Amino acid sequence: MAGWQQWLARVRTIRDLPSQLESRLFGAASIALGFLAWHWLTMPWGDGNRILSATLLPSLPDTLASFRSLWFDRALTLSVLASLGRVLGGFLLTAAIGIPLGLIAGSYLRVNAFLKPLSIFGRNVPLAALIPLTLIWFGLGELQKVMFIFLATVGFVLFDTTNAVQAVPDRFLDTAYTLGAHRTPGKGIRRAALFGLVYALIFSFGLFLLQNHNEDSASLIQEMTQSPFWWHAAIGFLLGSALWFPIQSHQLLRKVLLPLALPDIINNLRLIFGVAFGYIMLAEVIDAKRGLGFIITQSQRVGPREHIYLCLIIISLLAYGIDQSIRSLQRKFFPYLKNAES
Amino acid sequence: MPSPDSIPGSPPCILEDMPPPPADLPLIVDFDKVAKTYDHGTPKAFTSIRDVSFQVEDRPDIGEFVGILGPSGCGKSTVLRLIAGLAPQFPHTTGSVRINGQPVTGPGPDRGFVFQDYSNFPHRTVIDNVAFGLECAHVAEKERRTKAMEWIQKVGLDPLKDGLKYPHQLSGGMNQRVAIARTLIMEPKIILMDEPFGALDPTTRQSMQDLLVKLWRELEATVFFVTHDIAEAVYLGDRVYIFSPSPGTIRHQLRVSPPDRPARQMQAERGFQDSVQGVRAILEKLELEKTAAPTT
Repeated sequence: MAGWQQWLARVRTIRDLPSQLESRLFGAASIALGFLAWHWLTMPWGDGNRILSATLLPSLPDTLASFRSLWFDRALTLSVLASLGRVLGGFLLTAAIGIPLGLIAGSYLRVNAFLKPLSIFGRNVPLAALIPLTLIWFGLGELQKVMFIFLATVGFVLFDTTNAVQAVPDRFLDTAYTLGAHRTPGKGIRRAALFGLVYALIFSFGLFLLQNHNEDSASLIQEMTQSPFWWHAAIGFLLGSALWFPIQSHQLLRKVLLPLALPDIINNLRLIFGVAFGYIMLAEVIDAKRGLGFIITQSQRVGPREHIYLCLIIISLLAYGIDQSIRSLQRKFFPYLKNAES
Repeated sequence: MPSPDSIPGSPPCILEDMPPPPADLPLIVDFDKVAKTYDHGTPKAFTSIRDVSFQVEDRPDIGEFVGILGPSGCGKSTVLRLIAGLAPQFPHTTGSVRINGQPVTGPGPDRGFVFQDYSNFPHRTVIDNVAFGLECAHVAEKERRTKAMEWIQKVGLDPLKDGLKYPHQLSGGMNQRVAIARTLIMEPKIILMDEPFGALDPTTRQSMQDLLVKLWRELEATVFFVTHDIAEAVYLGDRVYIFSPSPGTIRHQLRVSPPDRPARQMQAERGFQDSVQGVRAILEKLELEKTAAPTT
């Protein structure tokens, strides 16, 4: 009795820290309660009537049973991979442009003043409006979906990265300066060229993969030798080296600002990735052959509706899994972070 | 100057006005009527220091240790940051600042700086923190590692045990040892210290003072040491500069006994405590000035 009362007193205490087991139990209780409510609302009561009809909310057993058809008939795995691939592709582009640009803007405040209108615009542009626009600009293929994710997230990443760099305390800059941190243009050019090469690869092969091609392997190679492929590579090289030269050519950016801001940058990327994963459904509603968004629209049109609910559960599980794996990577790579320890 | 052992019992400590520098020695630091005003010509204009003049001569094989005392907010740190060339205090508004006869153009490894909050890089191990300056100077990996280990040893840490730790795994005193090693490994001719031991407990503080004296002797560098602790300034300093309340200017330049005995011993001596009392009296008079006549 006394133990029980003590526990209640702790529950009533503001900011009292629960044990790990307790936290898990409370989390599990929330999930169980959700399913219980679902079950009650859809189970047949005495005379066979349900509180909510099957069209409004399918019953829990029916929904779970439809997993088989979702997995086999609708090729769930392929769709999950398609959705993930699109988000990752768009996100790669966002990171490749937003992070270096944010590093430069966070260090050189006039660049920040110059880019600010862009990032304000990028963060406030209505997402739904981007869909028709990307359809006009990039057509109906995969490129449109990747570019949609890019345009929807790049403003946020630019803004967050700039802030992360600006949040690095001045005393670290002072320390580095008094220890002799200086500009190293020669090294900067060599390293920027390396970054340029990576960008060239991403741009040329990335764009190549996103376009529709014949299956014939001979014509694939032929296409690769054509001029657009090399143009994309050249643009990628120029962009990559131009973005990374200012960062690689100053020891203060390379050795102090970048590594000190990096944990924050990665953390923000993790948060925005979750949001981007939600956005992709929007783009997949229109002309997609695969993807979780496609399954949801299909299920709404031709049924079974159970698949919609299953997809929602799968999406949140997937997002949670990705989030947790990025977290564990953060702990591994930034062992000195206090918030990564807990 | 009477030798400390000439009087048995309590050795005397000197506390006298600085004599003018001998004309034949080159000056390592030369401040001439230096002032710093922020937002000059606007209603927000704020003068941090004014009319600051002092000279520290470059004596062969010996570095001067200058303790800087003064009421809080009087611009003591401004003087240090002007020597280091750190913005926004740098550059000064009027007067002239010369280091080895040359005007300051910006920060550099020839003027080391130790800050109160250590500011060791959290993403680097102790070795990599200590080797940061050498890394910036493009010293080869193996050489800078050897040298870093050597300096970690010199500041009283265990190179093998502590070398691979991160700053968050160290205590405040250990972190400040790392910061000192990181600065001294560059063998700067001028070392600037802004309340470096302010956050440490008294015992740790005294052992750090002894460490500092030992390393400073070895390096023969000129040290500028800002502190709120009068005993610390009187113990460590060859000379003590006392600043007036804001806008700060140097009110007294005193010569004091050099730290030729361990901190715990010397600071307990009668003569030493008389010197501290003398300086405290001066500072208290300045504090009264601050409350009596607010700055114009």
